[in-house]
Amino acid sequence: MDFNMNIIIEYWPFFLKGALLTLGISIAGIIIGAVIGLFISFGRMAPNKWIRIPFSLYINSLRGTPVLIQLFIVHYALLPAIYPPGTAVTSAIVTLSLNSSAYVAEIFRAGIQSLDKGQTEAARSLGMTKVQTMRYIIVPQAVRRMIPPLGNEFITLIKESSLAGIIAAEELMYWGKAAMGQYQRVWEPYIAVAIIYLVIVFSLTYLLQWIEKRWVQRD
Amino acid sequence: MIKVRNLVKHFGKDEVLKDISLDVEEKEVVVIIGPSGSGKSTLLRCFNKLEESTSGTIEIQGVHVDKSNINQIRTEVGMVFQHFNLFPHKSVLENVMIGPIKVRKWSHEAAKDKAVALLKRVGLESKADSYPASLSGGQKQRVAIARALAMEPKIMLFDEPTSALDPEMVGEVLAVIKDLAQEGMTMVVVTHEMGFAREVGDRVIFMDQGKIVEEGIPNTIFTSPKEERTKVFLDKVL
Ligand SMILES: Nc1ncnc2c1ncn2[C@@H]1O[C@H](COP(=O)(O)OP(=O)(O)O)[C@@H](O)[C@H]1O
Ligand SMILES: [Mg+2]
Repeated sequence: MDFNMNIIIEYWPFFLKGALLTLGISIAGIIIGAVIGLFISFGRMAPNKWIRIPFSLYINSLRGTPVLIQLFIVHYALLPAIYPPGTAVTSAIVTLSLNSSAYVAEIFRAGIQSLDKGQTEAARSLGMTKVQTMRYIIVPQAVRRMIPPLGNEFITLIKESSLAGIIAAEELMYWGKAAMGQYQRVWEPYIAVAIIYLVIVFSLTYLLQWIEKRWVQRD
Repeated sequence: MIKVRNLVKHFGKDEVLKDISLDVEEKEVVVIIGPSGSGKSTLLRCFNKLEESTSGTIEIQGVHVDKSNINQIRTEVGMVFQHFNLFPHKSVLENVMIGPIKVRKWSHEAAKDKAVALLKRVGLESKADSYPASLSGGQKQRVAIARALAMEPKIMLFDEPTSALDPEMVGEVLAVIKDLAQEGMTMVVVTHEMGFAREVGDRVIFMDQGKIVEEGIPNTIFTSPKEERTKVFLDKVL
């Protein structure tokens, strides 16, 4: 088997551009997803059962269906209906935001509910208000617990963003496919693209471990 | 200092406190004993409304406890828990400082001076910058006592403060509580340490199945209890 390095060299600028878009889509997805997810998780934890039901329906639908179907529905049905001149990148960001919001909602919920009830009681017994207790005692501990699973969710999102290439968003996977189409070669473009994904994911994993060591592992 | 009248508490259908009335005088040390599940913790937690009572009234320092004044009242009533409940994301010093700073609105310096003095008092000034995870159970409970004392409470509530400790650490925690009693702190202590109850308690209350079965000075309760249920319980634990 001969390995044609020239294909990779020629496509290198496009791979880099694509990798940046991959990161951009994923970062937008995790941030918007975190904001939506925070609201969803409070709905999911509501004391009233009838309020909880729609939120848990939302979470389960998004977690229980393939991202690709979600992407097609958003791109070919949902966005054209509400915002006609949508681009593939918009569709990808919307889909990944919605999808990650469901996972993030559960991460938030686990982070808050995993805290011992004694923490709230100790704070309240000192005379702290509910808001002070949330702010100084509960949220700081919950956030520390959420960082590792949020990091994992972000990594998952980076890999899932490769699906956006299918609807022609010009992210990393898209350029891999383009190179393959042009040269009718599989190994060179896809190995190059796979290695770029690996480098991104490993750097992030390393960064997360560093953050965890610095200030997550106290309890 | 504490005046409880006709206190009833239900958990769903279970009635766990049945018409409890009780007074605790200033500087008095009241020890509550009784089998597990008899409602001792629930009673203590009703005092500062960590548990909402179903009916009955509670007065603390002459003030009727209700939703509107509960945060104010809690600043006057320190509580120490069986499982310490220290804040794991804060250092020992910060655990002790946070109440005065956030609730009493003291300056950082004033809170720190107070916290250092209290840690010295419980013998842990060298641990000020440690985190709770690195402490032994006995050390954790002493920090928890310092944290409660930092609010300068008028009353201290202890819910089985030594039950989660290894036997060799019970003594160091009881010594701190004893010391507080000698200083004249008003206290209600739920405990299974009968020796401690006898030595430090001004009055012992025996609870069973949500009721106060018998109360009196420790010597009387421990040597010649009137009620059959008290005798049975004491025979088991002594
Ligand atoms: N949060 C709760 N929900 C339901 N039942 C409870 C709760 N807390 C305590 N109980 C019940 O109330 C009774 C008294 O409990 P507790 O006050 O903890 O007893 P003690 O401290 O004497 O062991 C027990 O039967 C216990 O199961
Ligand atoms: Mg108890």
